[in-house]
Amino acid sequence: MAPEDELNPAFRPHWYGVLALYLAALTVGAGSAWLAVRSQLDSGGVMAGVWRTSTLAGSSDADIYTRAVIAVGALLALNRDETMYYVATTDSKGRALRSRCRYRISGPAPDARWWSVTAYAEDRFLFPNAERRYSLNGGTAPLDARGHFAFESGPTPPAGNPPAAPWLPTPGDRGLSFTLRLYNPAAGLAAAPASLAAPVIERLGGCE
Amino acid sequence: MNVLRYFRLRSPWYGRLEVLAAVALLTHLLVVWAIPYVIMAALSMSRPAEERGAGPLFPPMTDASQRRVVMPSPDLLYATCAFDVRQRPLRIQADPKLPGYWSIALYAANSDNFFVLNDRQAAGAPVDLVLVGPGTPATGALPAGAKGVTAPGGRGLLLMRVLVGDYAVEREAVEAARRTLRCTPLN
Repeated sequence: MAPEDELNPAFRPHWYGVLALYLAALTVGAGSAWLAVRSQLDSGGVMAGVWRTSTLAGSSDADIYTRAVIAVGALLALNRDETMYYVATTDSKGRALRSRCRYRISGPAPDARWWSVTAYAEDRFLFPNAERRYSLNGGTAPLDARGHFAFESGPTPPAGNPPAAPWLPTPGDRGLSFTLRLYNPAAGLAAAPASLAAPVIERLGGCE
Repeated sequence: MNVLRYFRLRSPWYGRLEVLAAVALLTHLLVVWAIPYVIMAALSMSRPAEERGAGPLFPPMTDASQRRVVMPSPDLLYATCAFDVRQRPLRIQADPKLPGYWSIALYAANSDNFFVLNDRQAAGAPVDLVLVGPGTPATGALPAGAKGVTAPGGRGLLLMRVLVGDYAVEREAVEAARRTLRCTPLN
């Protein structure tokens, strides 16, 4: 018997069955869209050391996925001639950053008119802290004789009195990322974002 | 493949797998496309009702209590104007007399950054822009000295950034600077 012969011309799915199927299709479509965007939040772009930058932030060249990812992860970014954003989610050995750990972030002052490094928790907002200190920048980070900056992050201040290095407080035990912002970067850097002399993120101690 | 066979043989068109897959795919693309629009619209609508339509919004200096926009910069003081130039152009004026960085950036409804002007480009001259959209009715000549800017769509958001080294010290100067921003619909 041919398969078509099995057709029952009187067969009609129940309306609630059809409704359930279409609701499932909508859910699959919307859910996969959200997962696709979430999964690209900390991926793509160009790497400089452990620092990742999107070359399309704020640009009208962005495709619908890039635009959605930026809207969710870095809304109202500027295009890269104006500002470059580099995000690090691991230390220089590739271990995921945690706020309870102590890190030393150091490197040459970036080639830009102004720069800053900001600590964000896993929700992409700032860490509440009594010092109300959320970032270190070209104005606040002292440079050594070679033009390098160095600071420490962690839940408690660096040892020493005065402390051995400026401190960026990261209280609690939460996810952590650092964002390096370069306002008016040098033209060569804007053209080749991977050429950044990337700051090193070194974990200090055992991260108990 | 009994399930597939069921869908091919037993179902009318609206019960077929191909149709369901097409619905799922279109939904997927529509949601990805719509995400920036929805987030931008929510941001533009999120100011307190009593302040809507009352010119620029001047949020307090960014700290950990700011949870309106992800990854806020704690080194910047912001000012925003939600714009709608479908009926009338918008005149944007500012005169922030500061030695440090500031910029005025315009974002389309899909979050594209289509225009930015910084302090170096302004070179000390006051900002005077007239923003129109693709469908804004013509209103004749620009005000003297103003520069025309065309938005890709009718609605969007203006974001002014003012760099602040130490807010406690610079408060007076930076607050005065950002409060020179005016967003006025042109008749």
